[in-house]
Amino acid sequence: MIGKIAPIALVVGMLAAPVWAHDEGPLLQAPPPEPYVKVSDVLPLPEFIPGLGTLYVDPATLPAGPFLSYDHEGKLSATVYMTPIEDLENGVSFDDLGVGSHTVTSVDIYYNAGHPGVESPHAHVVLHHDEDAKARLAE
Amino acid sequence: MSPTRRTVLGLGSGAVAAALLSGWPARAQETVTIAMKGSPRGESAWFEPNAIAVPVGARVRFVNEDAGNSHTATAYHPDVFGRARRIPSAAVPWDSGFLLPGESFEVVLSAPGVYDYYCIPHEMHGMVGRIVVGAPGDPGWEGEQAAKGDLPVAAQAGLVPVDEIVAAGPEANR
Repeated sequence: MIGKIAPIALVVGMLAAPVWAHDEGPLLQAPPPEPYVKVSDVLPLPEFIPGLGTLYVDPATLPAGPFLSYDHEGKLSATVYMTPIEDLENGVSFDDLGVGSHTVTSVDIYYNAGHPGVESPHAHVVLHHDEDAKARLAE
Repeated sequence: MSPTRRTVLGLGSGAVAAALLSGWPARAQETVTIAMKGSPRGESAWFEPNAIAVPVGARVRFVNEDAGNSHTATAYHPDVFGRARRIPSAAVPWDSGFLLPGESFEVVLSAPGVYDYYCIPHEMHGMVGRIVVGAPGDPGWEGEQAAKGDLPVAAQAGLVPVDEIVAAGPEANR
């Protein structure tokens, strides 16, 4: 019985899930189209942040993002989310967030003490989009 | 990015007399550097050193040595973001604004007493510092402002007791 229900539930779940199957093409090379803005243009941060690259974000999605992370050549390398610890402790959830690319080769999650734009301690969730991305964003 | 430098002259009333009477007038024009630092992925951020003693009239330079983040050095004062005063009443409050990597900011501290300051985006993390200017007994000396419970827990914990800083003296900065 379970064997018959499971595939049906999976299909129903897929149909009910938010659709993020957007056209990735415009995001793969910097700059991404509006409403994305370059973070260093609107906040006092370096244009290229070691470990995170050059970031773009749709301001309407702050603080969580997604932040699109590009390497020195302008190639989309990671999608980054920033979730304030206090919000998580208070039960705030960040659901159905978009992704810059559907290809994810590894994920890093770590604490961040804060920076302009997200000034409270928060978690960085970094989805790398290819195996070399982390190295290209390092410095 | 070319480094920049900004300066605030914190001249307080009675500063000249205090400088002459302070125990450390000979080095009053020295510059002490406080680095703004952070771990590579931003897990931590701090002033280094975060507690110093300097002579009256000393120049303090804040330098952002964190390649991946921006920082401020901001005095606790009602004139700066409405915070409770934690610097001598005769001192001029300051705010460096956001310093990008390699940028610096200078302030001259001429009113004797205790100065507490913080980094705007990292105060909640505990990135604070304390400067003792002159020594208890200097004319116009104002010690630590009474705790007002207005600081984040991590910031309050990050302030080094004044007596420890005084005991270490200016030589500890070298």
